[in-house]
Amino acid sequence: MLVYALRRVLATIPVMAVVALFVFSLLYFAPGDPAAIIAGDQATPEQIAHIRASLGLDRPFLVRFGEWSWHILHGDLGTSIFTNLPVSHMIAQRLEPTFSLMLLTLILSLVVAIPMGVVAAWRQGSWIDRLIMVVAVFGFSTPVFVIGYLLAYVFALQLDWLPVQGYTPIAEGFWPFLQSLILPAVTLGGIYIALIARITRASMLEVLSQDYVRTARAKGLGERAVLFVHALKNAAVPIVTVAGLGVALLIGGAVVTESVFAIPGLGRLTVDAILRRDYPVIQGVVLLFSFVYVLVNLLVDLLYSLFDPRIRY
Amino acid sequence: MTVDVPLEVFAAPVLPEILPPPRRRGWLGGFLLRHPGMAAGIALLSIMLVIAVFAPLLATVDPTALAPVRRLRPPSAHYWFGTDMLGRDIYSRVMYGARVSLTVGFAVAALASATGTLIGLLAGFVRWSDALIMRVMDGVMSIPPILLAIALMALTRGSVQNVIIAITISEIPRVARLVRGVVLSLREQPYVEAAIACGTRLPTIIWRHILPNTLAPLTVQATYICASAMITEAILSFIGAGTPPTIPSWGNIMAEGRALWQIKPFIVFFPAVFLSLTVLAVNLVGDGLRDALDPRLAKRL
Amino acid sequence: MLRRDVLKSAAALAASGALAAPAIGRAAEARVLRFVPQSNLPNLDPIWGTQYVVRNAALLVWDTLYGVDSHLQPQPQMCEGHEVSADGLLWRFTLRPGLKFHDDTQVLPRDVIASLQRWMQRDTMGQLIHARLDGMDAPDDRSFRIRLSRPFSKMLFALGKSNAALACIMPERIAKTDGFTQINEYIGSGPMRFRKDEWVPGSKAVFERFEGYLPRPEPASWMAGGKRMYFDRIEWQIIPDGGTASAALQNGEIDWWETPLPDLVPLLRRQRGVQVDVADPLGNIGVFRMNHLWPPFNDERARRAVLMAADQADFMHAVVGDDAQMWKPLPSFFTPGTPLSTTEGGAALQGKRDYAAAKKLLADSGYNGEKVVMLVGTDLSITKGQGDVAADMLGRIGMNVDYVAIDWGSVGARRARKEAPDKGGWNIFLTWLAGADCANPAPYTALRTNGAKAWFGWPDSAPIEQLIADWYDAPDLAAEQQRIAALNRASMEFATFLPTGFFLAYQAWRSNVSGIVKAPFPVFWDVRKS
Repeated sequence: MLVYALRRVLATIPVMAVVALFVFSLLYFAPGDPAAIIAGDQATPEQIAHIRASLGLDRPFLVRFGEWSWHILHGDLGTSIFTNLPVSHMIAQRLEPTFSLMLLTLILSLVVAIPMGVVAAWRQGSWIDRLIMVVAVFGFSTPVFVIGYLLAYVFALQLDWLPVQGYTPIAEGFWPFLQSLILPAVTLGGIYIALIARITRASMLEVLSQDYVRTARAKGLGERAVLFVHALKNAAVPIVTVAGLGVALLIGGAVVTESVFAIPGLGRLTVDAILRRDYPVIQGVVLLFSFVYVLVNLLVDLLYSLFDPRIRY
Repeated sequence: MTVDVPLEVFAAPVLPEILPPPRRRGWLGGFLLRHPGMAAGIALLSIMLVIAVFAPLLATVDPTALAPVRRLRPPSAHYWFGTDMLGRDIYSRVMYGARVSLTVGFAVAALASATGTLIGLLAGFVRWSDALIMRVMDGVMSIPPILLAIALMALTRGSVQNVIIAITISEIPRVARLVRGVVLSLREQPYVEAAIACGTRLPTIIWRHILPNTLAPLTVQATYICASAMITEAILSFIGAGTPPTIPSWGNIMAEGRALWQIKPFIVFFPAVFLSLTVLAVNLVGDGLRDALDPRLAKRL
Repeated sequence: MLRRDVLKSAAALAASGALAAPAIGRAAEARVLRFVPQSNLPNLDPIWGTQYVVRNAALLVWDTLYGVDSHLQPQPQMCEGHEVSADGLLWRFTLRPGLKFHDDTQVLPRDVIASLQRWMQRDTMGQLIHARLDGMDAPDDRSFRIRLSRPFSKMLFALGKSNAALACIMPERIAKTDGFTQINEYIGSGPMRFRKDEWVPGSKAVFERFEGYLPRPEPASWMAGGKRMYFDRIEWQIIPDGGTASAALQNGEIDWWETPLPDLVPLLRRQRGVQVDVADPLGNIGVFRMNHLWPPFNDERARRAVLMAADQADFMHAVVGDDAQMWKPLPSFFTPGTPLSTTEGGAALQGKRDYAAAKKLLADSGYNGEKVVMLVGTDLSITKGQGDVAADMLGRIGMNVDYVAIDWGSVGARRARKEAPDKGGWNIFLTWLAGADCANPAPYTALRTNGAKAWFGWPDSAPIEQLIADWYDAPDLAAEQQRIAALNRASMEFATFLPTGFFLAYQAWRSNVSGIVKAPFPVFWDVRKS
């Protein structure tokens, strides 16, 4: 187990290296000369050449990649072209809203989607199964922003239950914090719920046809115990895998959701950065999100053995 | 967006001993009857295709023609879907928008499948390249697809072509992995080994034995890629990183209308409904194909 | 175990939050103003950045020596008063006692001189002063002198004008920064401190009351008089999406929205608790700015072709919507309804649009389908609307438009680039000017044609510069009017830029906020919240 864990951790290193190489190339191949941008609009070509040399922009690709990676490993993500602030600082300012949103969405989605999938599998072929699957397909097919605007219209403007926009840091109270995130989380959760519900149903069906479930039923165990204790536990591996892979959907959805609800998080930062072609910021965000994504899936892999004692490495 | 996840779980067990059921007369008709979802999907998708192809004939006007004096008209007999803030006819824009969405969807599906298949074959057959290619694919896959597309769009100017390329790149690794998996499992099969032993040339082996077996999971994968690409295109346009604002795409129409969603919801509503229905149609077709090509799964669903 | 603990603490947090929030809420709430500015605050250097949003923030952080009141007359602000010699060559200014910077150091004449020097590098009126400057010095700790070689009658207006670049007074060490380099320390002399640590570009900017600020005793009027602040904090929240901002205002999540979308105004008017009014009676002038350095617009004929083809009604509908009260055609460069307004020579912008003739004129200029790079700030409805109309119009006269959709902040950065359009430069950008800045040539940066030193687009015409100089020397109003008419005609023929029309803008705020005045910029002093 330990050896496996170690191997799995080591395996993420080449993956992150590829990500880093890609992200670095982004700036390397970006149109526009960073030196010219730093020099300002009154600079002479000699001044620009001087700045380029002093920044080391005239050195070979691999040398610069090495140096850049070295800085990244020390937490230095460079400086935003647009605001002149360190990218790491800009990202740090926006971490809380995004991760709060994603965590809340994750919890909400699992709480809703897993029972949906279990019930659908349990009552396979019934109207409730069909209804749940139809809902799931719709959840899959409706763009995030459409759900967002609909929800904001109904629950914020018409019913006035929740705020339309903005984010309240958790330091200003848990309830306001939660209020500001409910609509965005439900919006973002739509596609994720659909995903988890489908995979839960599929893997539950697989498990429910197994012998030991019949045995458990035959033993006279209650239906709830059979479903949620025996079956779900055995169906957990694919569910957790997909939940981990689906984090990519959450990250992509956050970009849109934060724009719709004016949440000052990393998603908004990404959107602003792309409109301004602020490459260092784009680099930083892509790197960070990829790292989180890899980390989540690493944890998922390591969790397998906890969920499924049959897996031995 | 929807792609990566379901298929690996759903379609992975398809391989390779399971072959498509033998074709019988009326098989398709019977299948559609048993799968109303897929029938609905095909019908919807056909409607969207007709709209895209025949947009100029469907009582549309120039979708980019401005007429600020008749701006923000609600839907009426004259302006079926109303007009936007520059007086452009939303009905025409939505009809023409179908072209952009479907072009992006199908082009990405085709390009990603073709390129991914090539890469997958390469990784599967050329042993020394396998580790390298798969590490690169893993790396690309660990960048969330939308972010990858956004980052690539930052390098270029907004255009339909660039959007297609950007989304394609983010979808390739999933196809490559799928194809490589098929190749690796087939390569050990006795009949393939036998073919190799007989001195059959590699292209022939690929053509005769490998490709037919990848076709089923690949087709399913491609439909999901298509649906996902359409949503990604809309998202890119919506945040201003996709097709240029002068092109009427559904994402652009929504992006322009979103500021007025409280008072003129129809501007966002019509493109949103068309986008959702199209994606839904493709997803339904994908689900149907999956059931058709994987009878074991079909029994349960 | 673990999970239960988390749940427990979450419940505890929820309980404490629910109980505590309303109690602290009220009193503190009235001391915080949440304001949605027209666009993101991309930088905060009042000399380096000329965008209105930068100017508006600078007005909070920095004070000026003089300040225009609501009649556009300069009144003493940081200065107590001045003396000018009979020949108009020696100006002696006295500072008010007790002026302090945000780092609690005293405002000294050397700070003023350094600040003015930096300002003269960049500002068009500052450059006029600089051209006739013999020197500045400080005879004592309260006063400073400006010695000129030729008289400059608009001195006080220049020091107190409301358009960028403001003659902001900052500490000497910061003011020593080159005018072409951004400052990165925001120590001002104004009523609010800038909280750099809380600044999240693209999301929010926070200003905190500066206890050491000494307001003048007079009532406030625009940039003049006592700038009394009734808020401890002013939070600028950047909400690029108009729909979201509108919803937030209706829900009371924000207090004041600088630029509500005209289309949403009818909706906002119907809401209880929301007030809507015209923001600035002097209104705004839409601007289609052409780059005079590069083809095709280095040729006067190409620029005039644009004026011939432009339909101001189309532009204005796209900017202000359907309300005919909110816009006027403007066959002029000058703000309508002001003493110097004129329509002399404006025929090119009136009457039926002649696309064929414009096409021909464009062909005569040598244009042959080359790409024309147009920068459009798609995050602002005013620039986006004008951009879409412009693309349509240019298409009709056969121009091959490259529509560059970026955010307004990026337009601000890219328009400063003089390179060829295909090498990172540009041919066209769209913006607007406050009517207050277009009432006469003194603050009217965009009208100047002093080549490399002119505003972005760098028009170059000595005759027009001469006409502007003539206006400065006009002895009375009648002479001014006559010279302005000549200037307008010459500028139309030269097609310095295309005015796309005159329009009024709205502002909207919650009813519990009082004291909001009509002005070309948001005036935060004397605003209260109950």
